Amino acid sequence: MPIVTFHKNGEIFVGEVKTDTNLVVRAGIRQFPFPHLSYGCGMGKCAKCACQVLAGGDKLPEPNWKEQKLLGDRLAEGWRLCCQIWLSDDIELMQNTKTA
Amino acid sequence: MAELMNQADFREALENAIKGKSANKSPFSIAWAEGKLTRAHLARWAENHFHYVGPFADYLAYVYARMPDRYTEAKDFLLSNMYEEEIGGDRHTDLLIRFAESCGTTRERVTDPDNMSPTTRGLQSWCYAVAMREDPVVAVAGLVVGLESQVPSIYRRQTPTLRKVYGFTDEEVEFFDLHIVSDEIHGERGYQIVLEHANTVDLQQRCLKICEIGAQMRLLYTTALFHDYVEGDISIAA
Repeated sequence: MPIVTFHKNGEIFVGEVKTDTNLVVRAGIRQFPFPHLSYGCGMGKCAKCACQVLAGGDKLPEPNWKEQKLLGDRLAEGWRLCCQIWLSDDIELMQNTKTA
Repeated sequence: MAELMNQADFREALENAIKGKSANKSPFSIAWAEGKLTRAHLARWAENHFHYVGPFADYLAYVYARMPDRYTEAKDFLLSNMYEEEIGGDRHTDLLIRFAESCGTTRERVTDPDNMSPTTRGLQSWCYAVAMREDPVVAVAGLVVGLESQVPSIYRRQTPTLRKVYGFTDEEVEFFDLHIVSDEIHGERGYQIVLEHANTVDLQQRCLKICEIGAQMRLLYTTALFHDYVEGDISIAA
């Protein structure tokens, strides 16, 4: 099962999730990475769940139309919208309050 | 005689209560997944679906008002569910109307209650009755666990087909995309509330029964859509 390493404001949180997991869904049901992952609409409109992928990005599916629309140039820097991705492999993510 | 179940057994029983009557098995859902519907069929679906899901926040508002004050987490969940349906991002019914318009119908036709079938009116009325009359925990079981939690599995099957087979654009099918995420959250939170607060044999049994009826109602609704609008136009694999 995928191991998620989550960096938030200088702290690191690690947890295991089931295959085919969406981290916003997990946060929404009050499981890891709750309460650390910030999110908003859950529908790819607000970008509050945006995270920078530090490792494991090559295993993710290509950004969908919402991510392309909202993140634009930030995609090249490894940013993704957590509400739009389902995880099947280990991943390391960073979300800082100031930059998300 | 029924006994009080622990949460794991109760959850399994709830899942089983829904499973047998999953709307995935309706002829309309099968025809949809097989790519056999026309845009006109999908337009009729949208015109009906609006009147079932459109008042979802209204249903929940009745449950919210009747949920005991001490169940703060449950009340907060209902409130955030209502907020997300209506003003958290795009209004969900607006996205449904966008899809409907791409199928060739209009906002006016979709919002006109005269365009829903009698069975859809029955489903809508059942939802209101559950929200207003049942114990609020039982109502959450019926509306959220029995109905809303089914949605991700249905749309996960149907959305790729809408793009690949029916040729809709990403924007046109956004209604279906967002429900995969939001209803997964809502369905699971609904389970959490029911598992925690249905703490007597009577409440557990009523929750199981209403989940079964809710799933049955949704199956009835989608089956009627097939009979009312599709049957005669196409045939599907048995």
